[in-house]
Amino acid sequence: MSHIHIDMENVSFAYEKGEEILRQITFHASETDSVGLIGANGAGKSTFLKMLVGLNLNFTGSIRIEEIPVQSGTLAQIRSRIGYVFQDSDSQLFMNTVYEDVAFAPRNYGLPEKEVEKRVEQALRMTGTMHLKEKQIYKMSGGEKKLISIATILSMTPDILLMDEPSIALDPKNRRNLIHILNSLEHLKIIASHDLDLILDTCERTVLISQGRIAADGPTKEILTDQVLLEENGLELPLCMRKG
Amino acid sequence: MELFSVSGLSERVYMSKIGGTIREIHYMETLSSRDQWVNQIHPLVKFVLTVIYILAVVSFYKYDVAGLAGFAVYPLAVFILAELSFLDSLKRLRFVLPLVCLVGILNPFLDKQEVMLAGVPVSAGVLSMTTLIMKGVFSVLASYLLIATTSLEKLCYALGMLHIPRAAVTQFLLTYRYITVLLEEVDRITQAYLLRAPRQKGIHFKAWGSLAGQLLLRSLDRANEVYESMLLRGYQGDYGYMREHAVPGRQDRRYFIFWMAVFALFRACPVILVIGSIF
Repeated sequence: MSHIHIDMENVSFAYEKGEEILRQITFHASETDSVGLIGANGAGKSTFLKMLVGLNLNFTGSIRIEEIPVQSGTLAQIRSRIGYVFQDSDSQLFMNTVYEDVAFAPRNYGLPEKEVEKRVEQALRMTGTMHLKEKQIYKMSGGEKKLISIATILSMTPDILLMDEPSIALDPKNRRNLIHILNSLEHLKIIASHDLDLILDTCERTVLISQGRIAADGPTKEILTDQVLLEENGLELPLCMRKG
Repeated sequence: MELFSVSGLSERVYMSKIGGTIREIHYMETLSSRDQWVNQIHPLVKFVLTVIYILAVVSFYKYDVAGLAGFAVYPLAVFILAELSFLDSLKRLRFVLPLVCLVGILNPFLDKQEVMLAGVPVSAGVLSMTTLIMKGVFSVLASYLLIATTSLEKLCYALGMLHIPRAAVTQFLLTYRYITVLLEEVDRITQAYLLRAPRQKGIHFKAWGSLAGQLLLRSLDRANEVYESMLLRGYQGDYGYMREHAVPGRQDRRYFIFWMAVFALFRACPVILVIGSIF
C-alpha cells in the first residue's frame, strides 16, 4: 500500500440526536489522486471533509489517514499531514499580514525562523503570490485571499489537501488561475464543490454524494456527462457540456 | 461620514460607524507591522518600559509639574523614532483624551491654597489639575505608542514571557481577534437592515431581539471557524511566535538601559528646572 492514503470504512455521522448526515460511507484514495466531491446543498460534502481532519469526531466506522486512525488522541498527527482550505477565506485568514498568516502553521510546528521563512516563500511561489508577501489581509481582494488561503496550508507541506468550495466568489480570471494552481499541486487532493466545471478541469475522479450516501464514484468524465445521474441527484451538467 | 446612494432609491444611506471602527483596528495593525526601528525592539522590552514609565509618571507629587514635564521626552522621542504622526495620534485618541482631562477639572475649586512654582505663587488646584492631566495624557500616549509599534501577538508573547497564565494570554488574544469578527457581523447585519429600511434612522426596537440573536449565532459560527482554522494549522493554545527572538538581544538591552537611565534621571531631579536655571 502506498505511503499517502485515506481509508474510510462504513462511516456514518450524525449531529447529536439528529438525522444521519452521512451513511455507511466507504472511500479510499491514495498518492496523487485528485478527487472531486460533488452533491447538492446539504448532501454532506463539508461534513465529509471535516471528518477527515477530526473536526467532526462522533462518527461510527473507521477513518484512517496514512494508517493513523482519526480519533481525539491522534489529531495533532493527522492535522500535520492534511491541509484544509475553508470555504470562507475570511475564516481561514486571521493574522494581520500575509507573511504572518502563511508562517502561522510552520511556527506552531516549532520550525526555526529561517525554515519558516523558506516555507513561506515556497508556498507563496507555488500560488504565484510572492508579491503579496507583506500585504495586509484586509486589503486583499477575494481572489487574492483564496490563493493566500491555499498558501497557508502549503507552508505546512501537507501530504493531503482538502478544499471546500475553492472557486466560490472568484471572478473568471481568478478561477482560471486557481485551476492552474490546483493542477500544478501534486498532492492527494479532495475538492468539494458545486462548480462542476472546476471539478472537470482539476479532478480525474469524482464522488457523488446524495442523501448522505455515495451515489457514484468513478472517472470524472463519465460521471459529469451522465445527465440522468446528475439530475436524479439534484445536479445539472457542467456548463461546458450543455448544448445550445 | 461617507455617503453612498442606493440605485432606485432617493434616500441616502449612511455608511455604518462600525466600518470605521474596523478600519481603525486595521490601521493600528498597519502601524504595528511597519519596519521601523522601534517596531523591531523586543516586545518584552517595550512592554516593561511602558509599565515602568507609567508607574514613574503616576508616582509624581501632585504639584510637581516641572518634574513631570521632563517625562514628555519619552513619548516625543518614540513618536520621532517610530515616525508616527503626532496630530494623527491625537485624532485617534480624541475620545480618550477629553475624559483624561475631565478627571482633574474640579481641582481648582476644591484646592484653593497657593504654592510656589519657580518662585511664583500659583493656585494649588490648577497645579494639581495640570499634573493629573499630564499624568493621564502621558500614560495614554505611552500605551498608544506601545500598541502602535507592537502587534498584539507580540505583546501576548511578552505577557507569556512574564509568566502571565497561558490561558489568560490566549483569552486576551482570541478576544481581540473575535472583536473584529463580531464587528464585521454587526456591520453586515446593520447594512442589510438599513438597505431594506432606508426611511428609518436606526434599527427599530422591534427588530433588536432577532438581530441580536442572529448576531450571536453568526458570530459564534464564524468564531468557531476561525478557531478550527487555527487548530488545523497546529495551534495548541500557544502562538509559536518569535522563537528565534525569544530573549531580547543586545540592541534591545541597550534600548532598555538607556530609557531606564533617562527615567531614573528625570525622576530623581527636575531636569527641566535645572536646564532653565542654567539659561
